[in-house]
Amino acid sequence: MTKERKQALWGLVLVTPSFLLLLVVVVIPIVQSFIESLRNEAGGYDLSRYEWLFTDKGMRNNIWFTLKITVISCALVLLIGYALALYLRFSPGKLAGWIRRTYMIPMFIPGVIATYGLMNLLGNHGWLSRLLLPFGVTLPRIIFDEKGLIIANLWFNIPFTTMLLSSAIAGIPGSVIESARDVGAGKLGIFFRIILPLSYKTFLVALTFVFMGVIGSFTAPFLIGQNSPQMLGVAMEQVFGVFQEREQAAAIAVFTFLLCSVLGFFYIRSMAKEEAARM
Amino acid sequence: MLWYFRSVGLRRIIEFILLTVFAVFFAGPLLNLAVLAFSGQWTYPDALPHQWSLKWWSFVLQKEDIAQSISLSFLIAAIVTGLSIVLCIPAAYAFARIRFPFKRFFLFSFLLTHAFPKMGLYVSIAVLFYRLGLMNTLLGVVLIHMINVLMFMTWIPTAAFRNVHAAQEESARDVGASPLRVFRSVTLPMAMPGIAVASVFTFLNSLDEAQGTFLVGIPDYKTMPIVMYSIISDFPSSAGAVFSIILTAPTLILLLAAQRLVSADVLASGFQVK
Repeated sequence: MTKERKQALWGLVLVTPSFLLLLVVVVIPIVQSFIESLRNEAGGYDLSRYEWLFTDKGMRNNIWFTLKITVISCALVLLIGYALALYLRFSPGKLAGWIRRTYMIPMFIPGVIATYGLMNLLGNHGWLSRLLLPFGVTLPRIIFDEKGLIIANLWFNIPFTTMLLSSAIAGIPGSVIESARDVGAGKLGIFFRIILPLSYKTFLVALTFVFMGVIGSFTAPFLIGQNSPQMLGVAMEQVFGVFQEREQAAAIAVFTFLLCSVLGFFYIRSMAKEEAARM
Repeated sequence: MLWYFRSVGLRRIIEFILLTVFAVFFAGPLLNLAVLAFSGQWTYPDALPHQWSLKWWSFVLQKEDIAQSISLSFLIAAIVTGLSIVLCIPAAYAFARIRFPFKRFFLFSFLLTHAFPKMGLYVSIAVLFYRLGLMNTLLGVVLIHMINVLMFMTWIPTAAFRNVHAAQEESARDVGASPLRVFRSVTLPMAMPGIAVASVFTFLNSLDEAQGTFLVGIPDYKTMPIVMYSIISDFPSSAGAVFSIILTAPTLILLLAAQRLVSADVLASGFQVK
């Protein structure tokens, strides 16, 4: 056997175990749940499970509600994430140093805990409302309301987004920005002409992760969402666990895949291009 | 007051206010739990508890199912971390060093774990596990925990192996070291920080995983986050706060220990090609 053939074989042997695991926990379940979702109550195959998604009034509300929360959360997270990443990159001060050291901590806090903390802080008679009482401020209803859900999404996603964007912005050479400043570019000009184009791919990655993170979220909407309309993650769990309708749950799951498929496709494609450029 | 504002500058003041809001937003919920955990009595509308006590700590620690959940969580996290090291590190080495067919296809297949919304993926897996009889088994729970970590457990070490200069390996070969020896004494130690970060991340991820376990592991595999779900609905908020601290402590300790290694750059390499 030549040296190259031997190497190729070795590579495949080393990769196979983890690839098999990937097949078992991702590829097969998805294919299988797609097939399952096409099964109707009579045992035949058609689109009736999907039809129900759009004809059932409660389910239709759930879908709109999920999309609304997701879009609002994505917009806010990316806006704040960018602002924060830029601030961390260009501010030399002590405060920025402190934030740089601590902003990643929320990424490692268990979701249940953070949600519980938010419930206690922002809830009816929570800590914030007690602290604001002397100032005569009364809070609107936040927990068990869409406001609370959006706040929880911000809490979970801003640190991660900031981390990704920081690492992208750190890769932009300071000299490029300096020279743009020398020829008279304003702050907005620098952002839109230099920073955004150069960190655009990471922006896409961040958008993909936040979008999927919110659509596929369960803990926060389960604990602080209202009973109706629900986020799709909670609706799915109920259909699966409480009503035991596996085919219907599979259909909702496949529907969320479809919602994310465009972004997922762009994410994988842009990563593949990047990798091709360096190999 | 006014002269003070003018001398500091409006920009600094706005900056300060924004950052305060930011700090309160992120630290507030956690601080609130810390205060709650040590409060004896805290009635509305007091801003602080008027009685501090440790009674909820003994209450929580004496409950048997809570103690069980702690050891179960650590057991599962250890299995998940060990298994993912054994499965993913060889793959990462192959991606970084060896030329083999369909390399890019294999590397990018791991992106699939993050290309689907989590709860949708979990429900799909649960549908499959139901058929295979893996519901409510240790293997089922371990497998569902592996999904989240497969990608960065492969990608972060891949980036780490790539950063080891081939020249260093070659010079070790030149002085007569065997390939295995080179891997053990040169490549592995230099890639260790990346592997360590990925392992810590994996361990924490498994400790925190709630949604998948909730779907697949009920009723026998109640890990800490699952117990937390029921504590939230069944017990007073101080008990929940105590358990929150117990659940968060390992995270904070491990993070502090790995603080030097965890940076935005290393973590980001687990989610994107750079």
